[in-house]
Parts: sequence; structure tokens; C-alpha cells
Amino acid sequence: MLFIDKIFHMALEVMAIIQFSGVNKWYGSFQVLKDINLDIGSGEVVVILGPSGSGKSTLLRCINQLEVISDGDLTVNGFKVNHKKTNLNKLRQEIGMVFQHFNLYPHKTVLDNITLAPTRVRKLNKSEAEKTAMQYLTKVGIPDKAKSYPSQLSGGQQQRVAIARGLAMKPKIMLFDEPTSALDPEMIGEVLDVMRDLAKEGMTMVIVTHEMGFAREVADRIIFMDEGKILEMTKPSEFFENPKNERTKQFLSRILKH
Amino acid sequence: MDFSFLDVYKESFIHGFLTTIEVSIVALILSLVLGVIIAVFRISRVKPLEWFGTAYVEFFRNTPLVIQIFFFYFGLPSIGIDLSKFMVASFGLAIYTSAFIAEAVRAGIQSVNKGQMEAARSSGLSYIQAMWHVILPQAFKIIVPPLGNQFINLVKNSSVLALIAGGDIMYAADEAAVDYDVIPIYIFVACLYLVLTIPLSLIVNFMERRWAKQGSR
Repeated sequence: MLFIDKIFHMALEVMAIIQFSGVNKWYGSFQVLKDINLDIGSGEVVVILGPSGSGKSTLLRCINQLEVISDGDLTVNGFKVNHKKTNLNKLRQEIGMVFQHFNLYPHKTVLDNITLAPTRVRKLNKSEAEKTAMQYLTKVGIPDKAKSYPSQLSGGQQQRVAIARGLAMKPKIMLFDEPTSALDPEMIGEVLDVMRDLAKEGMTMVIVTHEMGFAREVADRIIFMDEGKILEMTKPSEFFENPKNERTKQFLSRILKH
Repeated sequence: MDFSFLDVYKESFIHGFLTTIEVSIVALILSLVLGVIIAVFRISRVKPLEWFGTAYVEFFRNTPLVIQIFFFYFGLPSIGIDLSKFMVASFGLAIYTSAFIAEAVRAGIQSVNKGQMEAARSSGLSYIQAMWHVILPQAFKIIVPPLGNQFINLVKNSSVLALIAGGDIMYAADEAAVDYDVIPIYIFVACLYLVLTIPLSLIVNFMERRWAKQGSR
């Protein structure tokens, strides 16, 4: 068992696409992230759980430098994220991000939302970009909404467009920041389905969510955070059936009660 | 009422009317471009740019337009820059108006949800690209009414041109007023300005309603 663990970790080190080592972050005198050490392998699906204010969204947002780390080292897809000379736009091209509130561009049609970055950043021509966009719209199940504006879509549809928008850049990593938290309960399923398919296809995914069932089913690893620290980092079965940390047990008992 | 001054000064008024339109159009476009640039400076995280933007806005909106125009017209030649009256009027009006436009644009940019910039930047767009394709189009929809006000003010303010014998509507009126009763002249001139400003108001109202209907979020 120990040996297998060792091999697993060695493999991770070689293939890690995201590496936090000794990362700290402060907002003024408040420390949001405390000594984060975390390797995420290529193709791995990692779900981050924890109470609100635990720093899980901040951790996620550091990966594409929407938040800047205060010290430590963070390497993503070969880029030193905290290095001054790192070309952030280059780094971000390879990382799709899906937000809690979708953040679709309200003045653009669904199709234009999806083709903006591919045409402006990847310099694809319009027809190529639209072809790709339609493929991903079909993948998320709403090709018929290509000409609609975001305000004409339901929340679930908007979030699926947001996922298609992220995928259209053909990223190596997808980040999800509470993708279902702003949705009506009956729309959560359709978004999780899309994410589940994505995980099966081998996309590297880092997901902050409160959907426990989804986490258990889809995650390769669960990370539990509280007060800026990673308290537990383990397989889902282990995490839900056999949590080690007192704080984890407390969290799970509260969540799973209702 | 006696409008016979038109028999003599018809040409002056036609010329003045066209000059006012030309100056207004040039100044309007220029003030919009300048206003957007200064607004982006104002919210820049690069301190020198922010300071420059702030100084620009505070200086030009807090000093009288007449002084600025006089400075450009009488002051610049003394340091070897000699601009035509048309240029003085256009640049002067543009710079003055851009200070107000910058403030409107800044307010517009800041009222766009923060998530929009985050979404755009996280997809790999540069700051400028994100501004241009995502933030500014949304900001402009919000600030159509104050922008309309500034454009209407600009057309009316072009009457300062008369003070440097700029050959605009107001200048034609001053010429005619030497020989004729001033009341009909100024009524006529006011109507000429209305012919320019009321359509502008209508266009602004129309755009405001159209974009409201298209309904963002």
C-alpha cells in the first residue's frame, strides 16, 4: 500500500500540471491561504470542499492569477505564476474558468460570447471559430441557442454556455468556482452532467462546489479546507466514509444531515 | 418682427451654421476619443497615468472654456504654435468636453460588473482587448443619457467661437446686430441652435430606448 502510494506521488510529481508549494496569501493582515502544498496531475479531477470563507475560491483563483499569491511557489502548466516575467495572457489561454454567476457578456450573442477569445487571442478566423463554437454548444446540448442573448436563457443554459466558452479555447485545465451555487435546484443536474462528461474525457479539472454527491462520484481526489489550510486531501471514498480530521467530521455531519 | 437682416447677412448665417456643425462634429469625435482614453487612465493601476488623468479632468472641467479657448488662440502663438481658428475651436471644445466625458465614461466602466473583466481576462484577452470588446460596449449603454447632455452642451458651447471671430452662428449674429434690431436676430439664432440640438436629443432618447429594450441582464 505504502509502495503504491509512493509510486502514485512520484508519478504525480512528474505529471503535475499545477503545483503549489508553500503558498501563502494575505489580504492586509488577514491570512487567507496558509502554507498550501498541492500537486494536481494532468487529467486529474480535484474537488475542493470546505465551509465558506475557508479560502477555497481564493485557492482556485490563484491558479490563473485572478488572485495574486503573497509568497511561495505556484507553477501551472510550466509557467511560474508568481514570476514577474510570466505572460499572464499566455498562461490563461490554457485555463478555462467557469464562474458562479456565469459572467457571460450580456451584449453579445451566445455564439459571439464563445468566439471572442478564440478569434482575438488564438487568432482563428471567424468561420473556424464559429464551427468550433457550434461543436461545443452541441456538446453542452444547446446548439439552438447560438443566436440568443444571455438574458434570454435560463441559468442552467447560461452556465452551459459558459462551459462551452471555456472549452472553445481548448484549454488544458478547467477551473469551476461554485458553478451550480447560483442555479435553481432543477437546473443543477444539467450543468453537472456536462461536467461529468468532461471529467470522463480526461480534462484536468479543479472544482469548488457544495455538491457532495457529485464530488463523491466524479472526484479523483477531495481536498478539504478550513481557515485557509488544507486539512484533508484524499480519495472520495476515504473522505466521506472515513474522515480523519475532527473539523472534517464536523463539516460532513452538518452537511449530510439535511 | 423684422427679419430683414437676413437679406444682407444670409450668406454669413449659412456659413456660420455650417461652421458650427463642422466644429461640433470634429470636437464631438475628438472629445469622445480623448474622454475614453482619460477615463481609462483615471482607473489605471499605473499611478502616473492615474495622476495624469485626474489632473487633466480637474484642470479642464474647473476652468472656464473661454479662458481655455483664449489660451489656445492667443497663448500658443507666443510659443510658436499657430493654429487656425477652426483648429483652436475644435481642439479647445474637445479638450474641455472630454474632461466631462471622461467622468461619465469612468462611472460607466465602474458600473459594469467586476465579473465581466474577470471572465474576459481569464480567457486570455489582454486588458485593452477586454476593455474594448467587453467593458466599454456595456459602459456606453449605461452612460448614453449623460453623454447626450455633454454633446448638446458641446454644440451650444461652440458659440464661444464668436469671441475669437471664428465665423460660427453666433459670430454671424454679432455681425448682424451692429445694424439691426437684436431681438429678432437672437430669436433666429436660438432657433438655429435648436435645429441642431433637438435632433441630437431625439437620437439620444432613441438609442437609450433601443438599448434598454435589448435588455442586458
